[in-house]
Amino acid sequence: MAKEKKIVVKKQAYIANDEIADQIRVEMEEKNKLFFNIMGSIGAGKTLLLERIAEKLSSKYRIFVINGDVATTIDADRIAKQGATTVQINTGGGCHLTAKLILSELDKIDIDSYDIFFAENVGNLICPSSWDIGAQLNIVVVSITEGEYVIKKHPIIFKGADIAIINKCDIEGSDFDSKVLREDATKIKSGMKVICTSAKTGLGVDELINTLGIKFP
Amino acid sequence: MHEYSLAVAIIDQVKAIVKQHKANRVKKITVSAGPYEMVIPDLLYEAYDIIVDELDKFRGSKLELIMKPAEITCLNCDYKGEPSKEKDEEFAFNFKCSKCDSRDTHLNMQYLTIETVDLEIPE
Repeated sequence: MAKEKKIVVKKQAYIANDEIADQIRVEMEEKNKLFFNIMGSIGAGKTLLLERIAEKLSSKYRIFVINGDVATTIDADRIAKQGATTVQINTGGGCHLTAKLILSELDKIDIDSYDIFFAENVGNLICPSSWDIGAQLNIVVVSITEGEYVIKKHPIIFKGADIAIINKCDIEGSDFDSKVLREDATKIKSGMKVICTSAKTGLGVDELINTLGIKFP
Repeated sequence: MHEYSLAVAIIDQVKAIVKQHKANRVKKITVSAGPYEMVIPDLLYEAYDIIVDELDKFRGSKLELIMKPAEITCLNCDYKGEPSKEKDEEFAFNFKCSKCDSRDTHLNMQYLTIETVDLEIPE
């Protein structure tokens, strides 16, 4: 004979992920490392920004970048050419990185061999916002070419972000003003730090590095 | 489509509960989420059904999702609770404080939570 029993759980579904994320964050902080989560749409310029950052910092800092994509190692290969150590996670059909995926890569290396860690999340403005990967700062990159409504249309990811980057500011023209995006980001999240960049020309990259609390070589 | 990942996360936690209670099988799992957690109920149910069809102790079980009201914290007056019903025509989720009318508010995420699990256990 069997009987039925109702168990009260009251635990978040994300709890297993969040515990790992906290473990990563604590370890990074204890070891005095920096870890940033870069999120944004496909084509926003996340990879080129990371190439610029690696180019500027790799003479002084040991940089480790974890790239998340459905397939290929294109992004990891590009950033590696600028002096960073990179690893590519192919998520298959997965639309976001998780703390477990990050930990599995960190477990393969000696964290003390690096100073600064970046994760380039899978390209979209929806799913990555729900998954804590253990970074100290969450950064969202949007670009002028995504149109003036891109922030309004994706408010949740900005609610949870620490820094918003408006990229491709070099092509800002008379019919488009990045002020719209800047204002939207700060309306959606009070006090949001917004930086206009052009990964192509290097505009704003120094300001971004300063904002991340990294001292120049 | 992160509902598959969410379904896996729910099932992984419930597997541990099944083991702890030495249950024969799971009858129902009740979960809750706020309205802005980007959970699409039909996709979550679909993902759940696909996964549990492969699991003896879960096959035929039901997943129930309860949607909870939004909750904000006002950065102006510290009010915590449901936002004003008055929507911002321009900004989705840019909630207005019910107490002081400020739109300087923070949406408190009410992450997908496993509320209860109905098990069939031996006498």
